[in-house]
Amino acid sequence: MAKHDTPLLDELEKGPWPSFVTDIKRQAEKNPDCWDILGILELSFRDKITHWKHGGIVGVFGYGGGIVGRYADVPKEYPGVEHFHTVRVNQPASKYYSTENLRHLMELWDKHGSGMTNMHGSTGDIILLGCRTEALEPFFWDLTHELGQDLGGSGSNLRTPANCLGESRCEWSCYDTEELCHHLTMHYQDEIHRPAFPYKFKFKFSGCANDCVAAIARSDFAVIGTWKDDIRIDQAAVKEYVAGNIPANGGAHSGRDWGSFSIKKEVIDLCPTNCMWMEGDELKIDDTECTRCMHCINVMPRALRPGAQGGASILIGAKAPILDGAQFATLIFPFIEISAENEFENVIEIIENVWDWWMEVGKNRERVGETMQRVGLPTFIKVMGIDPIPQHVKEPRSNPYVFWEEEEVEGGFDRSVEEFRKRHAA
Amino acid sequence: MGMSDDEIKAAMIEKATKSPKPALYVKDFYKCDAETKPRKIKNLANELVKEGKMMFWSSGSTTMYALPDRIKDEEGEGGI
Repeated sequence: MAKHDTPLLDELEKGPWPSFVTDIKRQAEKNPDCWDILGILELSFRDKITHWKHGGIVGVFGYGGGIVGRYADVPKEYPGVEHFHTVRVNQPASKYYSTENLRHLMELWDKHGSGMTNMHGSTGDIILLGCRTEALEPFFWDLTHELGQDLGGSGSNLRTPANCLGESRCEWSCYDTEELCHHLTMHYQDEIHRPAFPYKFKFKFSGCANDCVAAIARSDFAVIGTWKDDIRIDQAAVKEYVAGNIPANGGAHSGRDWGSFSIKKEVIDLCPTNCMWMEGDELKIDDTECTRCMHCINVMPRALRPGAQGGASILIGAKAPILDGAQFATLIFPFIEISAENEFENVIEIIENVWDWWMEVGKNRERVGETMQRVGLPTFIKVMGIDPIPQHVKEPRSNPYVFWEEEEVEGGFDRSVEEFRKRHAA
Repeated sequence: MGMSDDEIKAAMIEKATKSPKPALYVKDFYKCDAETKPRKIKNLANELVKEGKMMFWSSGSTTMYALPDRIKDEEGEGGI
């Protein structure tokens, strides 16, 4: 039996799509506090203002992240959501679960919280919505002791790292994303659980340029798999694709008749660097011009494979819209080796260079991408200790002035003003 | 010779006490000892929280530090 009239929310149940309103009503039959979620949301729709107060001092002992305080500003009318804290649980790498684990997690959440979840949050965590303050510690005890799972990051912390399926299921993965994600999660436990930075910082790991975790768009530090050598070509399979004997794109578009496959129209003409051509019935690629975009490999996966010398590109500074709109990460290191044998020390060295600089130079609530934008890429590249390369250039220069460093000028900047004035009177 | 950890912590407490703002960002503590690296300052701020001398306040996206008697609990008198 509904506790509140919700005519506006009820409208959201009328379409053909799944409705969160229906979901909450279903959960409210089990946990009556959930009626107050609908009640306060209906009130917000009517008042055209949120009735959630955000933030607070809540947390679990020893941690400075993983719990986000949420309180209703109308607790007397909606006591079920007076405290409605969010708990972020670190998801397993690649989001592999057993049904046993999911059931156990939900038993805990039904016992200690509202039973409402958001699987998953945009950072990748398991988001458990709605917990009273006094239930936080008991929930955390059960989560860590019964399930062996931990909280993720929130606030000015390193956020919960996320990765694609990587080598566990994907033949295109150019490095072991799960191993790197796991290693860095363990290595940076302090940064995940306690605030460390001027603002949030996110790692994401994709095994190839298809970038299944959208690292380039969503993470401050994106590690995206690529390869050093040439695309591996099976010319016999190329012929099979051209003959129409193997469906393009792994059959992904087979639900409709798109006409016969054209290697020119669907592969060669769509190559962003025009580095492919046919010689007779053989596909040729000038790998020196290839940007490793993955398009041709996606279309003809049985004929083309990433090269054998895998590694990753490091891109830094993506963010969702805050000040100047959404921003993709900038390519800083085109290729680095990724190896568990040296405990990923080259990746860690780059991360800590970025952190040391950003912690000092970054303003409060400024993402590292915004700091980079403010100081300019040339300064950032210098901080990272690398020389500029063509991939760092976004567009031809429009500023006619050239800034020279003293060490770049023969003889330096020291000169005698008296000597100069002998030739050029003031 | 730079300041000792205890001296820096005392300077941080003093800063948090005298600041007109009840809660401070970690960067606000950097000037307590300009010679100390930001990462060290961060670690000392987190130690102060562990010792119960400061508290975290988090909006969910950002985290700030405050003295317990300068920060109001939402469940008490209604937040900073």
